Amino acid sequence: MDEAQRGETIVVIDDDHAMRLACEQALAKVGFTVSTYADGAHGLEAVGAARPGLVVVDLKMPGLSGLDVISRINAIDPTITIVVITGYATIGTAVDAMKAGAYDFLPKPFSPDELRLIVRRGFERRRLQMASQQCEIERELERRRFVTFVSHQLKTPLVAVHQYLDVLRQLGETPEAAAKRQEWLGRCLTRTDELRHLIDDWLTLAQLDGGLLGRQRTRLDLSDTVTSVLQTYEAMAARDGVTLTAELAEPIPVHGDPTCVGVLIDNLVANAIKYNRRGGTVTVRGRRAGGEVVVEVEDTGVGVPPDALPRLFDEFYRVRQPGTPKIEGTGLGLPICRRIAAEMGGVIEVESIEGTGSTFRVRLPDAEAAVPVPATGRSS
Amino acid sequence: MKTGSRILVIDDDQDFVQALVALLEREGHTVLTAHNGRDGVLSAQRERPDLILLDVMMDERTEGFFVAQELRRIPGLTDVPIFVVSSVYTEQPSLKVEPDRAWLGHDAFYRKPIDPNALLADIRAAIAARPGAAVRGATP
Repeated sequence: MDEAQRGETIVVIDDDHAMRLACEQALAKVGFTVSTYADGAHGLEAVGAARPGLVVVDLKMPGLSGLDVISRINAIDPTITIVVITGYATIGTAVDAMKAGAYDFLPKPFSPDELRLIVRRGFERRRLQMASQQCEIERELERRRFVTFVSHQLKTPLVAVHQYLDVLRQLGETPEAAAKRQEWLGRCLTRTDELRHLIDDWLTLAQLDGGLLGRQRTRLDLSDTVTSVLQTYEAMAARDGVTLTAELAEPIPVHGDPTCVGVLIDNLVANAIKYNRRGGTVTVRGRRAGGEVVVEVEDTGVGVPPDALPRLFDEFYRVRQPGTPKIEGTGLGLPICRRIAAEMGGVIEVESIEGTGSTFRVRLPDAEAAVPVPATGRSS
Repeated sequence: MKTGSRILVIDDDQDFVQALVALLEREGHTVLTAHNGRDGVLSAQRERPDLILLDVMMDERTEGFFVAQELRRIPGLTDVPIFVVSSVYTEQPSLKVEPDRAWLGHDAFYRKPIDPNALLADIRAAIAARPGAAVRGATP
């Protein structure tokens, strides 16, 4: 028998002594643990106490009817699988039994093999049902953990600012406090900025998820978007000693929300500068290729360790390694990029060599493609 | 009164640490710091602090939970006061979680931000209550 089912417990409820014996022998022979009862009341008592995985019940019994037994088993534990035994004359009742929650029925007379087959299928379905319930529970737990985590992320900068202010007040007007005050106030401003960015990014994500952002469909030229984003980062790049270059086909037509497309390119270029090195370069390439458009943002920066790549687009994930400087960021930029790309029916990919640099590649449907490319994003 | 205790602060938020260090140093304590659980355990093993302030959500999200257990297994630190400090726990009823003392093995729990006066008072009390305090000359 299926080893996974060996030892599973079955309760058989049938008023016919010969039938109880036959069922017990057929099932015990292949490793099931079987107990049998001659009437519904005793059978239910055993089900309540032993919680078997499966119950085989005769529909036509004196005393409690099979249908009553089924509904009471469901009340005890709805995960128990119920197989009903029925005479040919009571096929109509078998249908009622299925409606009442029985898994399947077996018309008399049946062979031991038929009984074993239906019982095994019953256990298999039960296993799948329980696995899917487990998945549902895990999803709910993950959702709650995420809420806790997000609230922690939002509170962290606020806590730092509060603690500085409270300790400053505690230190009073001493020379040591005066020395700290200037530095700490600067840190407070940095942390409030951090909180502001965090709230902005979080709001952007929520709006994307809620369909409040990104639904607008305007025809855009991505070359224009890239050119204007690069202009806004010229000063920051110059300060960091990073050279910005663009290699763009013109035009690069896409359908999308202008704000979102701007945010997408902006986040990728900002990352490419932030995670770069002095003397490094950021190259943005854009081209049309077989029904889609491809934009690549390549940097010569710190790169991403291979084990961090799968989590790179997760909310709040930050690559942290000993030795690399801590770079300010919300941990929400790439999740936002991924949502925007998906919303436009495209994808975002990354290739990276640690210590050498990364290339983020966005592939979107070409707005002038001969054959429309089906959207792969959310369709609700 | 200067107690002159040695306090280890394990927390990944450098600003929060800096504020606490100033507060504790003014009180006469010597403060050691660590920015993640691993360094915190190493520092505790090496320095044998008199008291530990431990954050919960660090790099590996819930790192502090495991750090508390590890600290408790260090010989000589099995009864060092551990004050768990975190903003992950909230008063909000729908999200309320209380740290499990039996499991975490901590001696006190603070929600961030901390009230400076309450923290200083509790530290004084916890250190005075330790058997080692009398040996060092404090009034029992």
